[in-house]
Amino acid sequence: MSIRYTFGGDEFLFAEVSESMSLPACFTSMAITGQLRQLQIPGIMEICPANASFQLRFDPDILPAEQLLQQLQQLEQSLADSPQILDTRLVEIPVWYNDPWTREVGARFRQRHQDPQATDLEYAARVNGFASVEAFIAAHCGAPWFVSMVGFVAGLPFLYQMVERQQQLQVPKYLSPRTATPRQTIGHGGCFACIYSVEGAGGYQMFGITPAPIYDPAQSQPYLADSMVLFRPGDIVRFKPIQQQQYEEAIQAVADGSFQLDIFPVRFSLPEFLANPQAYQQSLPGTHHAH
Amino acid sequence: MHIKVIKPGLATSVQDAGRNGYYHLGIPPSGALDQYSFRAANLLLGNAETAAVLECTLLGPQLQFNVACQIAICGATMQPRINGQPQPAHQVLSIATGDTLDFLPAAAGMRAYLAVSGGIDLAEVLGSRSTYALGSLGGYQGRRLQAGDMLTLGAAPSTAAPVGRSLPTALQRSLPSKTTVRVLPGLYAHRLRPESATRFYQEQWSVSSESDRTGYRLKGGTPLQFQPREAPFGAGADPSNIVDAGYPIGSIQVPAGKEPIILLRDAVSGGGYAMIATVISADLDVVAQLQPNQGITFAAVDMQQALQARQHYQADLQQLRQALG
Amino acid sequence: MSEHLIHATLPGTFYRRPSPDAAPYVAEGSQVEAATVIGCIEVMKQFNEITAEHSGRLLSFLLEDGDAVEAGQVVAKVVS
Repeated sequence: MSIRYTFGGDEFLFAEVSESMSLPACFTSMAITGQLRQLQIPGIMEICPANASFQLRFDPDILPAEQLLQQLQQLEQSLADSPQILDTRLVEIPVWYNDPWTREVGARFRQRHQDPQATDLEYAARVNGFASVEAFIAAHCGAPWFVSMVGFVAGLPFLYQMVERQQQLQVPKYLSPRTATPRQTIGHGGCFACIYSVEGAGGYQMFGITPAPIYDPAQSQPYLADSMVLFRPGDIVRFKPIQQQQYEEAIQAVADGSFQLDIFPVRFSLPEFLANPQAYQQSLPGTHHAH
Repeated sequence: MHIKVIKPGLATSVQDAGRNGYYHLGIPPSGALDQYSFRAANLLLGNAETAAVLECTLLGPQLQFNVACQIAICGATMQPRINGQPQPAHQVLSIATGDTLDFLPAAAGMRAYLAVSGGIDLAEVLGSRSTYALGSLGGYQGRRLQAGDMLTLGAAPSTAAPVGRSLPTALQRSLPSKTTVRVLPGLYAHRLRPESATRFYQEQWSVSSESDRTGYRLKGGTPLQFQPREAPFGAGADPSNIVDAGYPIGSIQVPAGKEPIILLRDAVSGGGYAMIATVISADLDVVAQLQPNQGITFAAVDMQQALQARQHYQADLQQLRQALG
Repeated sequence: MSEHLIHATLPGTFYRRPSPDAAPYVAEGSQVEAATVIGCIEVMKQFNEITAEHSGRLLSFLLEDGDAVEAGQVVAKVVS
């Protein structure tokens, strides 16, 4: 796998690791950008890993474009055989699936949907071959997700489910984007889940809502004390279904600035995961082991 | 000791040089869209070159000054008035306590920069006072100005700029109603059909009215066709889709081949549409001064030409500093 | 009797109705007051109303619903 490099004007270098999404492609992007961050090369202003690509913003007056390109190609070579291990964390995100807010917004924008007669969840369950919405939700929260990119808007994570490709949930986006999406909606477009970090336009299907703020310039929750953005590329997320009462309790804690998330350190090994995804993801830590 | 917003204007926000280092979290640089004019206004006053200013778009604000200070306005032609009396732009103006400043609608250009002596004083967020409204971040409470807002001024420069000092005409930027913008083709340009890749540079496009600080949407050209392909896993069915990736500032994407969008300094940081070229850094200011319905043509340049243009731009800034330093 | 030209102060997209399925603000030939809204201009996803500025009869529109408009362009004529 060789990376395709191309310049975005005189200040951006774009690197396409792979045309298609895969965990190994994402891992390569993270390995190179992670190494670059450590090297602190003068003239590099932004290091942005993405799903199967990455981009850098640089100052060509300090770091000439050709020199940057050569350094990257050397880095790519040097990392080709390095161990594919990532020290990261697993974040449990409570989700009220099929909640009234996303249902209401979904109903309001039905004419922009492929299937105006069904809800987003009913549609997603059907196109993925599930007999019921419950079975679809079970698959959605049954295996963890890998944060393969943060962006679009501030703090929004793209999530790629850690299952074999034939089990990936895939749902087309809305035919035309909605002008509204509730903040903290759990969305899905193509093979990616996302969590909408702010209220706004959106084209992803809507499955539920989390009470947990994931982007907050006021940094009101304890887990946002170090950064107004919760997620980093490489984080692992497990969705944990909750019901109305737990949701309302959580919202109260959020209002008090005392909401807690369960976060566990994880040493993630890509080869071990790829060898047996099912067994590996069950070995990851989490509150489901506590009982 | 403050400035009171009587009327906010169409889209007035606090901006400076912008913030770097957070694009990987989806937080774009923001900052004045016309960096040259923003810096010129500050330099006229003897401010720090990157002091926070008000970016006024098409329809400027009406402000009441409860503080004596100096101001300068550069960028779009939006006739300023103090207590109803027309005043020159590109010049140091004196404001007395109680004065009211307002503007006529933009006669040319899209964005005027109002600098005040000492700059707009606000807490920096992530290293900048710029407003990123989509993320409710920075600036004045993370949003555009509203009626009733109160702005405070920073410490005035130790030596006040002489009232009447003006920006030499040669250092003022022209504000044409149509323009050619230089771009570096690349990114996913290879996915276009060759005839579309050629035609993109031959046609004139016009700026759509919904264009804003996030991006400029263009209309009026022939829809572009992408090469047919088997969709890569995760890329989406439309041939203009890619696996969601980062977007360079200035990059041009063409969703479904229809209307090109140029991303500006409040860009969405990534998404699933193929980008076909990027506006070179020297020409980003020019894009942001185009009004809705004005014309834009693209000229392809190579990296060497892009870097030459960059040097020219920096030389122009250097001239500004020498003329006003 | 005098004729007044009503100019657009902003560039953007001109609309004669408040929403696509609503009736026009005013019909040609109707009586208007200075404060009567006769159309709006959309720019940056914001809608800015245009008023007649004179009382009299709205003689004609010079733009169609949905047309591009430049600042300073004549939108309509009013006779008083």
